Amino acid sequence: MSERRRSLNLGLERFSGVYLWALFILIFGVWKPHLFLTKATLHSVASSQAIAAMLAIAVLVPLATGAFDLSIGATINLSTIVVTWLQTTHHWNMWPAMIIAVLVTFGVGVVNGFIVVKLRISSFIATLGMATVIAAIQSIVSGQSQPLPPTASAWNSLTQRTVGGFQIVVLYLIILAVFFWWLLDHTPAGRYLHATGGNLEAARLAGVRVDMWTWLSLIISATVSGVAGVLYGSLSGPSLTFGSTLLLPAFAAAFLGSTQIRPGRFNVWGTMLAVYVLATGVKGLQLVTGVQWLNDMFNGVALIAAVGFAVWRQRTSAARRSLAPPTDHGDSHSDDEAVEVAGVPSSG
Amino acid sequence: MTGEEHSGEAPRCALSVQGLSKTFAGSLALDRVDLEIAAGEVHALLGENGSGKSTLIKILSGYHVPDPGGRVLIDSHPLEFGSPETSYHLGCRFVHQDLALIPTSSVLDNLSLNGGFPTRWGTIRSRSAKQLASSDLARVGLDVDLAMPVGMLSPAQRTGVAVARALRQFGRDTREVRLLVLDEPTATLPENEVDHLLDIVGRVAARGVGILYVTHRLDEVFGLADNATVLRDGRKVGTFPVSSLDRRKLVSLLIGTELDEVRAASQALHSEGGDAVLRVHNLEAGPLRNVSFEVRPGDIVGVAGITGSGREVILGAIFGATERRGGTVRVGDVQVRSYRPREAMDAGVGYLPPERKTQGGLMEFSARENLTVTDLAPFWQRGLLRRRGETAETKSWFGRLAVRPAEGIEAPLMTFSGGNQQKILFGKWLRRSPKVFLLDEPTQGVDIGAKAALHRQLLDAAANGAAVIISSSDVDELVALSHRVLVIRGGRIVARLQGDEINVAAISHHALGADEEVAGV
Repeated sequence: MSERRRSLNLGLERFSGVYLWALFILIFGVWKPHLFLTKATLHSVASSQAIAAMLAIAVLVPLATGAFDLSIGATINLSTIVVTWLQTTHHWNMWPAMIIAVLVTFGVGVVNGFIVVKLRISSFIATLGMATVIAAIQSIVSGQSQPLPPTASAWNSLTQRTVGGFQIVVLYLIILAVFFWWLLDHTPAGRYLHATGGNLEAARLAGVRVDMWTWLSLIISATVSGVAGVLYGSLSGPSLTFGSTLLLPAFAAAFLGSTQIRPGRFNVWGTMLAVYVLATGVKGLQLVTGVQWLNDMFNGVALIAAVGFAVWRQRTSAARRSLAPPTDHGDSHSDDEAVEVAGVPSSG
Repeated sequence: MTGEEHSGEAPRCALSVQGLSKTFAGSLALDRVDLEIAAGEVHALLGENGSGKSTLIKILSGYHVPDPGGRVLIDSHPLEFGSPETSYHLGCRFVHQDLALIPTSSVLDNLSLNGGFPTRWGTIRSRSAKQLASSDLARVGLDVDLAMPVGMLSPAQRTGVAVARALRQFGRDTREVRLLVLDEPTATLPENEVDHLLDIVGRVAARGVGILYVTHRLDEVFGLADNATVLRDGRKVGTFPVSSLDRRKLVSLLIGTELDEVRAASQALHSEGGDAVLRVHNLEAGPLRNVSFEVRPGDIVGVAGITGSGREVILGAIFGATERRGGTVRVGDVQVRSYRPREAMDAGVGYLPPERKTQGGLMEFSARENLTVTDLAPFWQRGLLRRRGETAETKSWFGRLAVRPAEGIEAPLMTFSGGNQQKILFGKWLRRSPKVFLLDEPTQGVDIGAKAALHRQLLDAAANGAAVIISSSDVDELVALSHRVLVIRGGRIVARLQGDEINVAAISHHALGADEEVAGV
């Protein structure tokens, strides 16, 4: 009996996002079939969310190690401004401009890591502060005026060329997602990154170089943001302020994603699922109502709901376990009750 | 020592437990247990982990509902099961090891929090709040500043505040306090503070309150309790007047002959001799000063000492869990730097930390991930971490260590019982075949069965040539396992015992500092 209940729970728990997605598609498909159920909608949702999805992957890596990177919004913005400014103001070729932009963001990651690992400042504070510092640097570079978009056709086709109807930026996203799925779930590095986030001290005492992995995760998040920023510049053109609007959706997606596919862990496919479920909902509602505030509303609610859901899940499984709290030093409360749980296969 | 004042009165029964059983998922955690505590009696309840003592307490507090058939009387009023309110109204009070005090709040606030402050017009009447608090403290003979934050008190004083709070009377229809349950109140107390707490307990008992005192520190029992009840595997082994017991007898009542067997097995091992594999020279860390010793392969060395002596930091400092101020650690020919766990591991050191939850395990990660994290290299092939190899290795360790549930290799570590968690964490080090195996409190919070299994693994590791060093507050365990015992006091090694010198009395003698001479280094 409990066996069956468990597998049922598992499906609902792990793939609730998929069901929600299907529900959205069904509802809006029936409601506005001619507007919603079109290839154009598919293509536009896919590519309009590609940059946001990359940023969600970026933020996922430090989250897995237990660190926050709140500077990704500023970093992606800086990258876009640098890459366009070098091209239009300094007439650089696009490739060196791109490389410099990404190197700059790599540097941002190194600094973030230094502050967090060496100065022992909490990542939350460190990257919050860095976000503002980066915004200031961006102002210095741009002189507060938006650089003109580069006109080279190669620059535009970097992301806007279509492949099978999709803009190629979608393909970049898939490559990035597959890479990070491999890195986080199928390499020792991924195991160490997750272990660092799972319990820093226990991981350290098991020989995991937690400082190095924390540092590296912040470098990864900044660099991925940098790449996303370059692509954004090609896809949408320069903007002085778009970065900060992408920060919250990225966190929302990563947290929501941690309740999907592999509940309790930050994971790439859960995050991708979250990005596109939210985007589908927003798109459908926009087609129905035509209002513009939906995106913000949806993302804010989703972030709170996702974290709330994760907390609730933790509490219920803790309550299930408080029948058997793990024994601590000299604490004899648990072994008795572990018996109680041993009979019930505990679903993680 | 405390019941005398009331010996003239007709003995009232503060607590009477009759035929209490509790079944969890088909296994009996408590099997027809009887227990009587007279008013003013201090009654020790003893048992290893898994013996059923916390189940019994949780029935008394109204948390668990026992199997039908049992009865509990508090001062001859029957206790309605499963109702914490009834338990409270009948006069039962509980102080748990986690005292549930707020360290940053003052003594006064902590005493007043759960009963409410006396107020007028919504404003705290501070004078009457202070009077109330003072009388609470007087009741337990505690003299501390009411304005002092609880976090700045000594551990014994903190426990005293928790007891004072428990004894406070709330509500009109609440009966007088009849029974005070102290659930391992001294588990985290430094030994020199235990006396202070025992004073408090004595004072409360003198007021005619029956006290059920749960502890695993056997020495306290003799100084404090009138009677002792021993539980093992959910059954009552017996109730004994403390005057009829000695430590040896108590240990055998608690755990049977396991430690005797371990001792015999340990003595049968003989060190392979040869060069020392671990050389610690002039180690300085925490309170430790100038600590030097060497351990040869196959040796089992125990480290004893009260909490605060430096005993609790020595292994962590050797491994690199904490920083060393000075001194050198050499493993074979390799010098291991301070605060470099990975370097120590690469040199062949394994370290089991004392705190499973915060230092030992990744509690939300699967047993497999916990076991393999110490070395992933064998599973990293052609660009992928091979799950199959990991699973196979985890399974083989589950078999070797008899981890239950045996099919739980993908279950999060926290879902295992304490003993099984500890087995998994043993496995994570044993799979590296450490040359030097450092263990801090290796069997704390595990049941008897797991304890025996863990001891066997230790002996096996030593038999296979590992140098094993155990730091433990369980002196009986050290006596049974060790070939040599280093006793630490005030940051120095004050005695190096071996052979027949190793016994509980000698270790306690040196650890508590009955003599002042410092053994040569």
